[in-house]
Amino acid sequence: MALMTWRIALQLALSGLSVGSIYAIVALSLAIPFKASRVLNFAQGELVTLGAYIGLVLTSYGLPYPAMVPATLVIAAAFGILIERLFIRPIVAAPEFTLVIATFAIGLIIRALIRIHWQDNVFFLPAPYAGPAVPIGPLRANPSYLVIIGSTAVLVALLVLFFQRTRLGKAMRAVAFNETAARLMGISVNRVFGSAWALSAAIGAVAGLLLAPVVGINPELGHLILKALVAAVIGGFGSLGGAVFGGLLLGLLETYAGAMFGAALKEIIPFGILIAFLLVRPQGLWGATQVRV
Amino acid sequence: MTAIRLAHAAIAAAALFALALPLFGSSYHVYLGELILINIVAAVGLNLLTGNCGQISLCHASLMAIGAYTTALLTTRAGVTYAAALPAGIVVTTLLGASLSYPARRLSGLYLALVTLGFLEVVSIAIEEFSDLTGGVRGLKLVKPELAGWPFGTNTLYYFVLVVTALAVCGGWNIQRSRYGRAFNAVRQSAIVAQALAIPPGGIKLLAFSIAAAFAGLAGGLFTAVVGFIDPTEFDISASLRQITFIVVGGLGSVVGSVVGAVVLTLLPEALRGAKEYGDVVYSAILLGALVLAPKGIVGSLASLHSRRRAAKDGLP
Repeated sequence: MALMTWRIALQLALSGLSVGSIYAIVALSLAIPFKASRVLNFAQGELVTLGAYIGLVLTSYGLPYPAMVPATLVIAAAFGILIERLFIRPIVAAPEFTLVIATFAIGLIIRALIRIHWQDNVFFLPAPYAGPAVPIGPLRANPSYLVIIGSTAVLVALLVLFFQRTRLGKAMRAVAFNETAARLMGISVNRVFGSAWALSAAIGAVAGLLLAPVVGINPELGHLILKALVAAVIGGFGSLGGAVFGGLLLGLLETYAGAMFGAALKEIIPFGILIAFLLVRPQGLWGATQVRV
Repeated sequence: MTAIRLAHAAIAAAALFALALPLFGSSYHVYLGELILINIVAAVGLNLLTGNCGQISLCHASLMAIGAYTTALLTTRAGVTYAAALPAGIVVTTLLGASLSYPARRLSGLYLALVTLGFLEVVSIAIEEFSDLTGGVRGLKLVKPELAGWPFGTNTLYYFVLVVTALAVCGGWNIQRSRYGRAFNAVRQSAIVAQALAIPPGGIKLLAFSIAAAFAGLAGGLFTAVVGFIDPTEFDISASLRQITFIVVGGLGSVVGSVVGAVVLTLLPEALRGAKEYGDVVYSAILLGALVLAPKGIVGSLASLHSRRRAAKDGLP
């Protein structure tokens, strides 16, 4: 790649990291309920979309940005609890097929309802930080990208604190480790499941709000769940650190591949990685090896 | 006993109705009938894989797309007659399905769902990228199909689809009751036990996937002849979910269930014509409701109702 100077390479790294950060956030929001209840939420992409639209509605009611963000997260978390309580809890012990298809159906319903109400229009959410690119040394950075990367770092730090220090975080880890033992220790497993879904929906909404000023709000926003799934597979399902690493790695790979070989390959690469990983190392880079029977 | 006789009478009535449809129905009714038949073919194949063998497939719609595009390209670009292009489409779909399933035969559950989801995405990207060949997002218009130089009229096409569907349903019925069908059920219930009984789970899954792919390829090939126009949105994830809805609502693991599900759920949107944009919502809500409230589906629920009645009559608990 003689054509690629180190400056272009760094510039690409910056945009790759920001795309990867989004993947990482969504992958995290997939991994948290999966770790707690072994349910992979295929509707998570639509929860990202929903978060963006909630932000849009609140903004249209005149809520300023600093108040809109926490309000959006709270509403999204309530949605997460609602979905868990209404649809997931009755079938949490059902076969995997039921859970996969049920979460898919939930996602399809949310997307279809959004499309009915807002059609295929693209909305832009005004963010106070959006503006022209700022120079950082020899590079130029879109402030939205910097905010995405920064927010992801803060989010990951907060999650680490949450899982290490708080009672609820420790309870979630206990349930993930051994549900029966956790129940015997007096942990309310149902409450943990509900909290995991609330947390995951709120994190999804963070991704939606971060994406909104960059790509615009549209019903297909949730399509990025596919990339997040790839990221989660790379990291190994249920490994939160793996999810973040997988997201960042995928963002970088995709950006460099797109710059070098064109858009078509950029689209194909994530699925090539997905299929290769599932066939060769389904437990991901960090997942524990399972005995295969 | 009466319930069995009732079921036979219902099947006979349905067959008569299907045969007589072009005599009294409008051309739109005939078209709708053809769509139902195609959905039946796709559902029967998917039900063997998912209902009997227990394997999740989210890419049944893309297998159908492969069958449809192969048949369409052979007839429009290569000038092959429909009679040869339809089997060719089935063969290509089966081979592609098998080549996806061969490496994935050790996977199941969630991981299989992810692989098939990835495959779905790759197929739709491929259709859009190779737009010179496939027409991309603008779709592909087809020549009117003809069988050995004899063009199809509306009614002959209907009867052709009806006969092919009847053969496919009989085939699915026989597969399900053959030793392979029982092996599918064994693998679903416990791969370990199946292995102990000298049933190779990997090989059986590969077989189930290939058979399902063949049905999907056939459905796709018929679809091109009936609709005359294909584009990638016909074969996206919501199409896969619709086919899954057919078998979940009809009854998993039952050929009759596939047929009932396909008929009911193809007609349903027609009954709700006024609320067309709610199509996806209604489908998904039905799917979700069926999964949560009636996981056995229509046929399974009727069957268990029947056996409970009989048990009550015989004085069993």
